[in-house]
Amino acid sequence: MSANVREIQGSDYDREVTSAATPVVLDFFSTECPPCEALAPKYEAVADQFTGRVTFLKIFRQGNRELAARLGVSGSPTLVFFKNGQEQGQRLTGEIKRSEIKAAVEALLG
Amino acid sequence: MAERFDLVVIGAGPAGLTAAIYAARARLRTIVLDEGLPGGQVKTTHKVSNYPGFPEDVKGTELAALFAKQAERFGARIARAIEITDMDLKSPEKRFVLDEEEEIVAPAVIVATGAKPRALGIPGETDFRGRGLSYCATCDGAYFDGKDIHVIGGGNSAVEESLFLTQFARSVTIIHQFDQFQAEAATAKEALENPKIKVLWSHEPRAFLGTSNVERLRVEDLKTHETKELATDGVFVFVGMVPRTELLKGVLPLDKWGCVETDDSMATAIPGLYAAGDIRAKKFRQITTAVADGTIAALAVQRFLRESRTG
Repeated sequence: MSANVREIQGSDYDREVTSAATPVVLDFFSTECPPCEALAPKYEAVADQFTGRVTFLKIFRQGNRELAARLGVSGSPTLVFFKNGQEQGQRLTGEIKRSEIKAAVEALLG
Repeated sequence: MAERFDLVVIGAGPAGLTAAIYAARARLRTIVLDEGLPGGQVKTTHKVSNYPGFPEDVKGTELAALFAKQAERFGARIARAIEITDMDLKSPEKRFVLDEEEEIVAPAVIVATGAKPRALGIPGETDFRGRGLSYCATCDGAYFDGKDIHVIGGGNSAVEESLFLTQFARSVTIIHQFDQFQAEAATAKEALENPKIKVLWSHEPRAFLGTSNVERLRVEDLKTHETKELATDGVFVFVGMVPRTELLKGVLPLDKWGCVETDDSMATAIPGLYAAGDIRAKKFRQITTAVADGTIAALAVQRFLRESRTG
């Protein structure tokens, strides 16, 4: 895994996401999910392009059901974008292209 | 400097990987490009029961991995999770730019991009995707542990995936436009006998409703034309597939379903450009027919390359 993508737990959410100073992308992933496996290398590649400017996190949905339910995430993978602790823009879900992630992150930076 | 191949295969499903097996065994320098992982639709099929050589059911993910392993064993390169950011398919030397960085060229290309789930095209569908609305049971089934969910469709995929979803859901209600399933008789029987599965015959979905997630499904009774709203925890849609031919728009003429016309050797109207699998205009779309298309395309490419060298 790229050094620029960190895995968090639901208990880290407030510190890592809602109180974060930099914009955040959060990836909800599952096991036995081919589109999640396909996303991983693209997510890491985009994370490497925005080092220091945007934080890229991932969270295992099965281990963090409560947070997934609270955010209304019901599909894997789902990318959720945050700025100043608030969710921004459209979520990306299912089969996600590298260029779509990049465009969404650029929009997040405004 | 562009890297040179004999054959570029676009799409690592059964058609593309079979083409790669044949081409690589014939010592063609072969690369298979895929936006995701190898396997195509097979990798999200929970089990496959009708592929010869597997007398017991085989998991789709396993079969997909085996196809890829076999292609790689003979030296085909599979480029995973890449995006084609620019390309030229019309010239004798076909050219691709991958992820805006890498450039490759080849005299022959097999397009085997397959098909993707058809959307219903009704209100709420775009908004609720990933918010209670799914097109992949193996990916998202576990989100619906103990829930009451709905499945739209009545063909093989809809009925088989409904059976799979009963592992998680408390109840699965299938909404189907006709009075009986279009699925194979054995599968249909299994579903009708499953105590967790209910069926709403002669109904069609009209809208997905809810605040942040799908909460209700509006359906129309096709006989009385009455509409009603059903409470739901989640909806899975399996109403057929549409070809993935976005790459070919403006390159090749497509038929009214968006499929590519080929001749018996999978050749398109452009020399050196072949199509195989679910994107082809044809009547039946199975793993076995995709594998056959891939075989034929790879053999035709070998002949094409021989003739263009000697010619």
